[in-house]
Amino acid sequence: MVVEKTQEKGTGSVRASTALTTTAVGSFGRPDYLTKARSAFAKGDIDRAELEKLEKQATEYWIRVQEKIGLDVLVHGEMERGDMVAYFSGEKGGLPIKGMKLGGLVRSYGNRYYHKPIIYDRLEWPGPMTVDMWKYAQSLTDRPVKGMLTGAYTMVEWSFNEHYPTRRDAVMDMAKVIRREVEALVAAGAKYIQIDEPAIHTRPEADFGDAVEAMGVTVEGIDAEFHTHICYGEVEEIWRPMQKLPVKQIHLAFKNTDFAYLDLVREQGYDESKDVGVGVTDSHTRFIETVDEVKDGLRRVLELFPPERVWVLPDCGLKTRTVEESEAKLKVMVDAVRDIKREMEIE
Amino acid sequence: MQTTVVGNYPKIPNRPRPGRLRNAINKRDRGDLSSEELVTIEDEVTAEVIDEQIAAGVDVVTDGQVRWDDDQTYVARRLAGVEIGGLQRYLDTNTYYRQPEVTGAIKFKEPALAAAWQFAQEKSSRPVKAILPGPYTLAALSADKHYGSREKLALAFAEALRGEVDALVEAGCKQIQVNDPVIVFNKDDYGTFHKAITKLLEGVSGAETGVYTWFGDCAGILPQMQELPCDVIGLDFEAGPGNWEALESVTFEKKLGAGIVDARNTRLETAGEVAEAVKRLSAAIPPERLYVNPSCGLEYLPREVAFEKLKVMVEGARQAEGVAA
Repeated sequence: MVVEKTQEKGTGSVRASTALTTTAVGSFGRPDYLTKARSAFAKGDIDRAELEKLEKQATEYWIRVQEKIGLDVLVHGEMERGDMVAYFSGEKGGLPIKGMKLGGLVRSYGNRYYHKPIIYDRLEWPGPMTVDMWKYAQSLTDRPVKGMLTGAYTMVEWSFNEHYPTRRDAVMDMAKVIRREVEALVAAGAKYIQIDEPAIHTRPEADFGDAVEAMGVTVEGIDAEFHTHICYGEVEEIWRPMQKLPVKQIHLAFKNTDFAYLDLVREQGYDESKDVGVGVTDSHTRFIETVDEVKDGLRRVLELFPPERVWVLPDCGLKTRTVEESEAKLKVMVDAVRDIKREMEIE
Repeated sequence: MQTTVVGNYPKIPNRPRPGRLRNAINKRDRGDLSSEELVTIEDEVTAEVIDEQIAAGVDVVTDGQVRWDDDQTYVARRLAGVEIGGLQRYLDTNTYYRQPEVTGAIKFKEPALAAAWQFAQEKSSRPVKAILPGPYTLAALSADKHYGSREKLALAFAEALRGEVDALVEAGCKQIQVNDPVIVFNKDDYGTFHKAITKLLEGVSGAETGVYTWFGDCAGILPQMQELPCDVIGLDFEAGPGNWEALESVTFEKKLGAGIVDARNTRLETAGEVAEAVKRLSAAIPPERLYVNPSCGLEYLPREVAFEKLKVMVEGARQAEGVAA
């Protein structure tokens, strides 16, 4: 269960709620001025310092929004990141992992393209990649802000591997790199670290064990609470092995499948020592759920989990939503939790 | 020995070359470009990718499937009984396709591929091969809300796609290739695959027909595949190294489409490596029955890398033949 979190001021000294803790998954909609600034920066029209100023301005905006709406554990919003893998692999504005660079455009579907990173040499930690932004975000609030990283399996799976003889070799070296970043975040004061693995179920039969092992290499023995986010794909196929991930919390896109994962909990169980992160609003539609709809989902979850083990969040990062939609999605979520707590007399 | 490709080719180049098709589709989606104007751009890009394949030295080219969003929906969306649903991950890639949903009896309406093939052939100085989605793969990757059985669904797709095959033959297409990769993951269901391919290709005359697989090996089913009513079998030796052994343990009587250049990794092979692989194949397959090609479609690579890979592939094939590229 979630224990009381008492932390030093400036690194999240407010106690997180111990039941139905609310949080977000990572990214939020980017304000127009920042979208424009990023493209101006890409063209060379503004410098890094100017862009950074605006990134921080947008980050502060999102910290204030989350406080005002009433989330318990905050995210910094990823205003400085374009893509969750490319940011660590050569995306402009980020510090790339040594041995990685951005490749050319590859189509992912329809008319969507992305610069797929290339692992061209031995992977090494380049120094802190996310610590300054985390520190800045945490300095703005007394509530805890999560450190946000991408897991080793996803980093490798979404890149070309030109260097390592096998995927496993690349994943294990990547895990060591991510571990260094975790250590740097913890040294800076981060208490919660989320390590996203949306690609973890790409080939469950072949190498899911490698992904679990890599998570161990990344987090084991480090004094922080670790969460992982897994979205879409065939979660059914990895339900049991997924329980072995050495993290305190797995969060999943429950809303997207109309809470069908609850059937898996009933049929196959859920690790008793873990919390569950429940996505209650669909991140990939502009439609804003009603408070009643979210409450209905929560009631179904609470049939199976005690409130102390449930964290409530959107299904996924909200970067494909507008600023207004992102806020609305968070608000219905927090309003629903407040109502449910009152109705069910949960402290 | 001839060199060829497996199907798709990257639709847009990288800077400084402009991503014309991407921009055009964006404009169409915003309402700033008509569908007819978009077709003109697709035509131009088709001609461009044919030129690029020829410039790399490829003997038998495709239209690059420039007009296709993915391997399933371009043809499936034109069939009666099929609707197009949500995004699904395509096998073990980080690419996505819209899932065909079969809601009624599948029926062929009118050919979609013959006119596109004709256009491509007119633009090409080399033979253009037509690509068809395989009936088994279509059945496996669709949501079946009507037939209630994989076999019935696969056979229904096969029967409908036969209309495309017949129209291609009638248009004068001499090489027709069916891309049916999913069978390598479902070998237990080989009987269904065999029946569906038979329904699709049996009795076709006047064109060479092929069935290509990728992302795995055909160990265990390669002997039965010799009985398929097709002339060429395509195997992926990169993701399916088991194909080397499978090939050695069978009397291979068809032509082989040998995927020996990795179309899923930017790491560039050397011509020497390609030549080595070709020589290794020569033990089982005489050159006149050998096509050398990438391991799958080239769209998993950036455009420039795809082009370099094709050049290296052609150079390696020529090296193995002892001919200057």
